[in-house]
Amino acid sequence: MKAYLSVFRMRLRMETQYRGAVLGGVACQAFFGLILIAVYRAMYAGKPQTMPLSHVTTYVWLQQAFFRMLLASDAELMDKVRTGGIAYDLCRPIHLYGFYYARIMAQKLMGSLLRALPMLIFAALLPQGWGISPPASVSALTASLAALLLGLCCVCAMENITMAFTMRTLDPRGFQAMLNLLMMILSGNILPLTLFPDSWQQAITLLPYAQMLDAPIRLYTGEYALPQAPGVLLLQGGWTALLVIVGMVLWKQNQHRLIIQGG
Amino acid sequence: MNTVRLYLRSMGILLKSQMQYPLSFLLQTLAQLIMEGGEMLAVILLVNRFDHLNQWSAGDLYFFFGLMSVTFYITECFGRGITGNFPSMVRTGQLDTLLIRPRGILTQVLCSAVDPRRITCIAVGTFSLALGSGLSQVSWTATNVLLLAESIFCGCWLILGLFLIEAILCIHSVKSVEIANALTYGGRSACQYPVDTFPGSLRTLFTVIAPFALVMHVPASHILGKPIFGWPAWAAWISPLSGILIFIIMVLLFSKAMMYYRSTGS
Repeated sequence: MKAYLSVFRMRLRMETQYRGAVLGGVACQAFFGLILIAVYRAMYAGKPQTMPLSHVTTYVWLQQAFFRMLLASDAELMDKVRTGGIAYDLCRPIHLYGFYYARIMAQKLMGSLLRALPMLIFAALLPQGWGISPPASVSALTASLAALLLGLCCVCAMENITMAFTMRTLDPRGFQAMLNLLMMILSGNILPLTLFPDSWQQAITLLPYAQMLDAPIRLYTGEYALPQAPGVLLLQGGWTALLVIVGMVLWKQNQHRLIIQGG
Repeated sequence: MNTVRLYLRSMGILLKSQMQYPLSFLLQTLAQLIMEGGEMLAVILLVNRFDHLNQWSAGDLYFFFGLMSVTFYITECFGRGITGNFPSMVRTGQLDTLLIRPRGILTQVLCSAVDPRRITCIAVGTFSLALGSGLSQVSWTATNVLLLAESIFCGCWLILGLFLIEAILCIHSVKSVEIANALTYGGRSACQYPVDTFPGSLRTLFTVIAPFALVMHVPASHILGKPIFGWPAWAAWISPLSGILIFIIMVLLFSKAMMYYRSTGS
């Protein structure tokens, strides 16, 4: 356990290195948020919906703030597989899946925290109808934070599965891009899941992708009422456990069939 | 003419090299299809929920989306040297090798890369254009076809010009400057919707500074028979030329910036 913790801590520190670049990225992301909100506002002006506009703007800002969590974060592994550097990792007296899980989690956690703070401050300063609204209640905030943590575990488990698949080919770019794009669409980054057709909601919120950011955001805005929270958390936990198990099995298989490229 | 031949020859060689790994190429092309398909799905779902946006019907919105997507990805495909590779050329010092050859820097940068994977994005855009013009009952007269072609042609130069801003900043700062993406990728995201969707300052930005509205929305709205800003027909023919103007200005600024170029030395 200690080994995984220190990998986690090391990666946390690494993520804090390029703070200037982070700010530039945040400014850009904020601009995209403003554009999206302008479009949704114009749409709402033509035909108001039962869901208030403030829920949509809050959804957009929380997605922009924690955007980094969804991005694929560990490009090094692919290089290691291609160059044969993976052999060093195999020598380590620890579980390979756990090693990468800790790395990815640290990158996603610190990467999104660094970006989320300035983004949320910016979004809170915007005028009414553009910015982020406060959470539905204090307990809704607590529930959404718990859900966000579970969402992080879920997204890391998912990324480990993506990597397990891509380890099997030497040029994983196409496959990896497809899986990541699917994630962007189905997790509500391109269009809030709440704006998908009502008849789709039932199915789409059950998918693992909806557990990552969509569930915490819906708890935050009160779209999911508090009595629903235990069920939501349970679903998130269930998916996370399942994805971790699938990932571990895939990594185990990969280790048996892995070919070390000489170099 | 010599330059054009050189460009075409480079494209041929680059395409050949990209086709060496057909499976990988196919998968990456499919990924692009999912990306642009996802963007179009977002528009379709929004239209499904909201029916219209100001005076624009579903068909109009698909038309605007298709126009942006075709134009943007033609540029990304054939202008990849500028839209994608330039920052890394500066960072790695690869740009130095271009300085010693007897051709213009921009020509060589443009000749250095092509991105045929974008073909699926262009296909999605074309589909959206066809769908939109069908729904909005656009009559494809010769003038309308010509106007659309002019809009796409000028749009490509506009987008190249905007990517040159990033290149110019990059010459001064070495690091790729993400903030410049606000005009290029931000412009794409915003101006796949007609510009009157946006409030004052964003509208000014995309009309005057990065004139997507002049290059795309004015002619497109004329084709759809609902002139934006209420401008007359001749304005729809003149306004796209602003894209070429922006490109010329940026090329001049670029050559000025190259005088300050310092090699990273690696």
